[in-house]
Amino acid sequence: MLYPPPVFLKAENVTRSFGVRRIFGPLSFEVAPGTVFGIAGRNGAGKTTLIKMLAGLIRPTSGRVLVASSREPGAALLSPRDTPLALGWAAPDLALYGELTPAENLAFFAKVRGEDDSPKRIDAKIERVGLDPKRLASVETRFLSTGMRQRLKLAFATLSEPTVLFLDEPSSNLDEAGRAIVAKVVAEQRRGGTVLIASNDTRDLGLADEVMTL
Amino acid sequence: MSRPSVLSSSIAVFQKDLRSEWRTRTAVSALLLFAFAVLILVGYAVGPANISREDRPVVHSVLLWIVIFFSAMTGLSRVFVHEEESGTAAALRLSAPSAAIYLGKLLANLALLALVLLFVVPLFLALMSFSIACWPLFLLVLLLGSIGLAAASTFTAAIVSKASAKGAMFAVLAIPLLLPPLVAAVSGTRIAATESGIAAGLDILQLLLAYDGVVTTAAFLLFDAVFRE
Repeated sequence: MLYPPPVFLKAENVTRSFGVRRIFGPLSFEVAPGTVFGIAGRNGAGKTTLIKMLAGLIRPTSGRVLVASSREPGAALLSPRDTPLALGWAAPDLALYGELTPAENLAFFAKVRGEDDSPKRIDAKIERVGLDPKRLASVETRFLSTGMRQRLKLAFATLSEPTVLFLDEPSSNLDEAGRAIVAKVVAEQRRGGTVLIASNDTRDLGLADEVMTL
Repeated sequence: MSRPSVLSSSIAVFQKDLRSEWRTRTAVSALLLFAFAVLILVGYAVGPANISREDRPVVHSVLLWIVIFFSAMTGLSRVFVHEEESGTAAALRLSAPSAAIYLGKLLANLALLALVLLFVVPLFLALMSFSIACWPLFLLVLLLGSIGLAAASTFTAAIVSKASAKGAMFAVLAIPLLLPPLVAAVSGTRIAATESGIAAGLDILQLLLAYDGVVTTAAFLLFDAVFRE
């Protein structure tokens, strides 16, 4: 008996319009486990809007998006709004709490998700993106550099080992070491999950197995 | 992947808001400074001596709730407005169940309002020589009135947080919602100042309790649609 290949993300005829102006669509595509899917396009083509739609942060004007509710084989495909814990998202317009330290931020998000918020786990997540948890133990996030905040966003996006990781302009404000962290995060994520990268940066898109241009 | 419990997530949201507020003190400063300024103005302009003895319960009850209401309007919308303005709302939407967010923010606003009451009420009673005949009734009216104020303000704050004219929108939406509990709270305070038994204010307490129940339930049911759209 032949089984259909597993899919972690499925977009079916999705469109998005603002008023009478259609931004993109209809788009249909599937992303399989272990795949890195790139989204390219000129400024204003709708890359960020598409990523937000796929992550369930905004609704499509028409069509639907389905994501796998977990990394387990045969996991149900659900609307992203019904399975937010299976998703990770990092983007330029994402911010973490400036008044909290990096560890407090990640511990807070772990706690509201019902996950382990022990210092050991949180420090490991911070170290994973190349930041020193001891040095930043008493530094509020608002006092971090833009590049360090970008790394912290990556730690937030991968906090729950998501099924689908959405990265919007992941290398913006990052130096070479930071870009290497992005490549490492993408490589780790593709082992059990999948990654969607929206970017104009050819080096970011170079991490993708296939690229769709809007 | 297991879903987090609403209670533990809401407590996490509440603790996070308290910690953020402790470090910035933005809402507390605005609320208390506003309350202090209004108290001084009311004390100077009206004072205990400028009102006849029989008019005092009515006038003082109205003035007390005016101070509480406008202080609440100054700071309670911040719980959601700040999340949207600082760009953290999307991270919260992706992480916490809607009911937990509403409950956590409601608890944070109740804590802020409790602080305002602890500051305003003793000062107001002292400045205006406002005597209370039935303390249990007075305290229950304060408690239920504050819960109504906080529940409606928190929900309204979520509605206006994405609007461009947040301040104006908050007042326009919140004032009609808050008029019924305010009228009841003023009446309850007047009764507490004039009657020594709690029985005289039972109708008012029932009304406030019903309002709190209806608004909180409606907010829980509608919050997901309001916050995630």
